[in-house]
Amino acid sequence: MAVIMAVIYGIVGVMPIFVGDVRFIMHILIMCLIWAVVAACWDLIMGFAGIFSFGQVAFFVMGAYGSAILASRLHITPILAMVLSGGITAAIGVLVGLPCLRLKGAYIALVTFAVHMILEPFLKGDMGRFLGTGGSRGILTIPPIELFEVTFSSAAPVPFFYLTLLLSILCTVIILIVIKSYWGTAFLALKDSEDFAMSLGVSAFKYKLMVFALTSFLTGMIGGFYGHYVGMLSTRMLGIDLFVTLMIMLVIGGIGQYPGAILGAFITVSLNEMLAPLGTYRPLTLGALVVVLVLLLPDGVIGLIRKVSGDEAEGAGVSRY
Amino acid sequence: MTPPQPSNMCGTDPSPRRIARPSGDAAILKAIHVTKKFGELVAVNDLSFEVKKGQIFGIAGPNGAGKSTVYNLITGFYPFEGAIEFNGRNIRGLPPYRIAQLGISRTFQIPQTFPSLTVEKSVSVGNRFGSPGHFDRKYVDRIIEFVGLESQRREMTGQLNLLGKKKLMIGAALATRPKILMLDEPMAGSNTSEIKSLMALIQAINTDLGVTIIIIEHFMKVLTELTETLLIIQTGTELCCGDPCEVTSDPRVIESYLGEAYADSNES
Repeated sequence: MAVIMAVIYGIVGVMPIFVGDVRFIMHILIMCLIWAVVAACWDLIMGFAGIFSFGQVAFFVMGAYGSAILASRLHITPILAMVLSGGITAAIGVLVGLPCLRLKGAYIALVTFAVHMILEPFLKGDMGRFLGTGGSRGILTIPPIELFEVTFSSAAPVPFFYLTLLLSILCTVIILIVIKSYWGTAFLALKDSEDFAMSLGVSAFKYKLMVFALTSFLTGMIGGFYGHYVGMLSTRMLGIDLFVTLMIMLVIGGIGQYPGAILGAFITVSLNEMLAPLGTYRPLTLGALVVVLVLLLPDGVIGLIRKVSGDEAEGAGVSRY
Repeated sequence: MTPPQPSNMCGTDPSPRRIARPSGDAAILKAIHVTKKFGELVAVNDLSFEVKKGQIFGIAGPNGAGKSTVYNLITGFYPFEGAIEFNGRNIRGLPPYRIAQLGISRTFQIPQTFPSLTVEKSVSVGNRFGSPGHFDRKYVDRIIEFVGLESQRREMTGQLNLLGKKKLMIGAALATRPKILMLDEPMAGSNTSEIKSLMALIQAINTDLGVTIIIIEHFMKVLTELTETLLIIQTGTELCCGDPCEVTSDPRVIESYLGEAYADSNES
């Protein structure tokens, strides 16, 4: 696991040497790194803990708006605003997780997706405007990240890229550590047989809320980071496109095949850009590709890599770590 | 550990099973007027019984009598009326994981495993989360050996056969260092030699590890062979409770549960 992650980040890390002056490509790479974190969080909660949470994009948007409002209205330094916003998102994540404790499978998907559905009217409505979301206009001026009196913004892509790389590695390594620790074992045990796990002393309450808290914290924080990067936010992110793209990342990478989700994010974001010339045929092509991939590679790209490298010991991904 | 002789001839057998048991008449588990209703259906009706420390306590009865429900009540899976005392402490209302940590462990009628985990990891789950002390790798190793899965410890649990899955379930439960182990029809679907091996294992858990055992079973031979006290329940109430030999020859039990054929086979 750690080896694959090191290879992925290693390759991405040297990219600026070759394409550092191509602003467009640097933007794609930064987006890859951001989405890698969101996809990794989703894989942790869905692939490992077996909780079908469909609120991941909603948590991302909450984090983005939260951090933007904290920074622009209360003049909190962006880095701190990101972390605070992550904390707020985590609290909301736990609140969403509470009703999910009594539900199973598809019903959890419904409840969490309802959060996604509610968020747009909330942000556009009076309550949202009161908080400073700017209603349907969105937030147009989000201050850039400042660290040690250096301003990181999209104007200087290479330094910003390395900041993103650092944050992305930090978040995904945290997830890796969690998966490998006894927390990860508890998640898998609860996913496989909740009754058996509970009868062995695993608190479903504690560990399920923990996975909600952790994944929504990291997703919210990276959402805040995204807001400070692009400098403006609107509720357009809550459209179905982004949600589907995120799902494609997981399918391509392999659900429960960490760090497949990270690889999936890189492939999907790049592919999405490469297919841009196809115009309206792009979603169609992507959709067809997903069908083919699901049929041919049920374990995602990471499954293929493991098969080719003959690494059967780690072949079960979810199971062996 | 000597495997008990497969015999149900009560009275003729000086019973090698009652050996080296930590004696004491103290009740470790008490069910006091326990009632559980599912809507209109009364699954357990004013049931009271007492399990003594160190004994093997059997529960039998027709299908749907409420045996598994009793287990689910003891282990905190359902709320109920009445009280259940473990070592004098009322455990009603505690969540299943707390009851497991206190020292009541169980297995399930339909074998439950963790297909994403190896045998070793699965047993570790019990020790890591269910035992009162810190995680103890040596103890996990000992348990894996004790239930006879050491050659398969690195296999995924999905690859085990039925007997292996049952042993794994027992192993994981034992890794929590329980005071009471509750087995739910451990023999279901097993052949004669598997039954013998499981019986030997259950006996060893009781005598070697000093764990009190409650066992739900349909095989009367297993019950008369292993248990010291046998409780027969029917439609959620106690039909008869006492020495397994006396209980199985009780006319009410024969009539409502065992059937005439059993009585005949016992006489011949």
